Amino acid sequence: MSKPQPVAVTTPTENEKSYEEEHVHNVYQTIASHFSDTRYKPWPVVEDFLNGLELGSIGADIGCGNGKYIGVNPNVCILGSDRSSNLIQIVRDRGFEGMVCDGLNTPYRTDAFDFAISIAVIHHFSTPERRRSAIEEILRVVKPGSPILIFVWALEQSKFSKRNFDKTQQDVFVPWMLSTAKTNNDEAAVEESPKKVYQRYYHLFAQGELDELIVETGMADISRSGYDRDNHYVIAIKK
Amino acid sequence: MRLITHNMLQCHVKNCNDNNFPLRLEEVEVELVEADFQPEFLQNIIGKLEWPAFVNTAVQLGNTNLPATIPDNAKDNEEFLKVLHTALLETHVQQGKMVCPNCSHVYPIKDGIPNMLLAEHEI
Ligand SMILES: [Zn+2]
Repeated sequence: MSKPQPVAVTTPTENEKSYEEEHVHNVYQTIASHFSDTRYKPWPVVEDFLNGLELGSIGADIGCGNGKYIGVNPNVCILGSDRSSNLIQIVRDRGFEGMVCDGLNTPYRTDAFDFAISIAVIHHFSTPERRRSAIEEILRVVKPGSPILIFVWALEQSKFSKRNFDKTQQDVFVPWMLSTAKTNNDEAAVEESPKKVYQRYYHLFAQGELDELIVETGMADISRSGYDRDNHYVIAIKK
Repeated sequence: MRLITHNMLQCHVKNCNDNNFPLRLEEVEVELVEADFQPEFLQNIIGKLEWPAFVNTAVQLGNTNLPATIPDNAKDNEEFLKVLHTALLETHVQQGKMVCPNCSHVYPIKDGIPNMLLAEHEI
């Protein structure tokens, strides 16, 4: 079966919040459990970043999903948060701690953390202003001189077929196929059962776009940026 | 929610910028969950806490074992580190609410999970 392909969309010029509610938050609430089953392997760049931190560092994972990074390095303390209460329930069921909050308006003290990560989150905000605000909020909560690591989906993708995907289209819906079968015990039944398609909104970042947004905040200097597994990432240091 | 998490939180209702920390714990159910004792980890954590807020919060939960100020020999004081370990990392608030000392906004905690979402008019 071929991979579901993204389709271009036009983002609204008002009510961005309810747009994200419908095309991001509600989708994650619905697919949380299935999504979590597919997200267990930490990405090496993130793992290296976390393993390079000083013993006893305290950090925030804002948009932590199922919390797969919370336990990577037992010598640091990572506080996970996500907008989806169903994903945070999964974090909890896995024996970790998490809280429900909005990435644009987190309840953390200013200059509180030694580091922060945002892995595959910022691309779900539907305007440049909201994406920049989300970055500003991550930078607000870390101490001056502390690093943040941000990953976003890249426009430069290897797995999208050219036939379906126009490289000038950065705003897309990416389908998530959810089986309607009740049980996971019978794989064949799951495979053959009708699938319901949920469309998640993504903004695909062009090369250099994430770096520019971070510089625009005026709050941080870029330490390193790169491309890994269809994502752009940046490590930046708060001024 | 552990107290290490609570120590990082403040009220984030729009225009609630003063006296918005620490959030007061009310009507709580607390559970002690054993965790690995890592003295070096704790030694590095001490300086990162808002100490008076942490002590006051522990007292709200009935834990009066913490000293009002950090002892001079904190890093080598195993007895102190153990008390710190229990209060900071093993004390879990399972149910209850956090109340802002300034604007009285209530943040609920259910099954160990704080819900910090705000309504549209509070942002
Ligand atoms: Zn308040």
